[in-house]
Amino acid sequence: MDERQLVAKAQSGDFDAFLLLVNDHKGKVYNLALKMTGSVQDAEDIVQDTLVKAIDKIDQFRGESAFGTWLFSIALNQTRALMATNKMTDLLPVEEYLLSVDTQNHSKESFRLFDWKDPHKLLEQNELRATIDEAIETLPLKYKEAFILRYYEELSIKEVADLLGESVASAKSRVLRARLALRDHLSKVLEGHYGRTL
Amino acid sequence: MGEHCSDYINNLNDYLDGEISPELCREIEEHIGHCNNCRIMVDSLKQTVSLCREGKEESLPKVLEDKLNNLLREKWNKKFHK
Repeated sequence: MDERQLVAKAQSGDFDAFLLLVNDHKGKVYNLALKMTGSVQDAEDIVQDTLVKAIDKIDQFRGESAFGTWLFSIALNQTRALMATNKMTDLLPVEEYLLSVDTQNHSKESFRLFDWKDPHKLLEQNELRATIDEAIETLPLKYKEAFILRYYEELSIKEVADLLGESVASAKSRVLRARLALRDHLSKVLEGHYGRTL
Repeated sequence: MGEHCSDYINNLNDYLDGEISPELCREIEEHIGHCNNCRIMVDSLKQTVSLCREGKEESLPKVLEDKLNNLLREKWNKKFHK
């Protein structure tokens, strides 16, 4: 039975059809929520609230997006509500990630970016994992959700834009700024560690 | 696109994700070929995503699975079998 048939059955009251629909996606919703909040308890609450909302709104699902994308949009709204205080912070403009360390053409300046080479040789796996989690944790919500949807959930930039209710250009900008900010955070930690091991 | 590194930065994600015109791709690669800092920037941006993806997917905790199944069935019955 395909997704459209399962949705039709669920909308007519078939609980097993609903379970089949959500079983394919609840793990992904949990991982999305876990990455967004960094908290198992919050992630569990978001999964629960998302699926309960999905029952409330199942009649309103028109199949304009995939069922999983629709669940993601509910989960993102739940996450935003939970993390409302995180909304006001912002990242540096894109150019600042170069300009903060250099002038317009850094190739002609004496400054050299720290070359990561192989980060696994600088940090143990668990330290690296903790550093990445911390870096993601510090991202403002609107950048964090764009990055997670693009690179963890592997959605296309158009799907990310649609889920966030933004233009493709805006979604691209958010993803890039998040990636630059994460790189910046990781680079500082790796360089600091490299300095200590000299 | 000009000669300055900052002119390239807005296109780096599209470049890294392979979503860029062949012409712009060649231009960026030519720049990276002679600009060490841009090479490092591109390499570390690439590694940023691959490092993030190294973490394994977490499974839904069993306790939550059981709790959810009961809760969802209860909500479902309320909605459809009032």
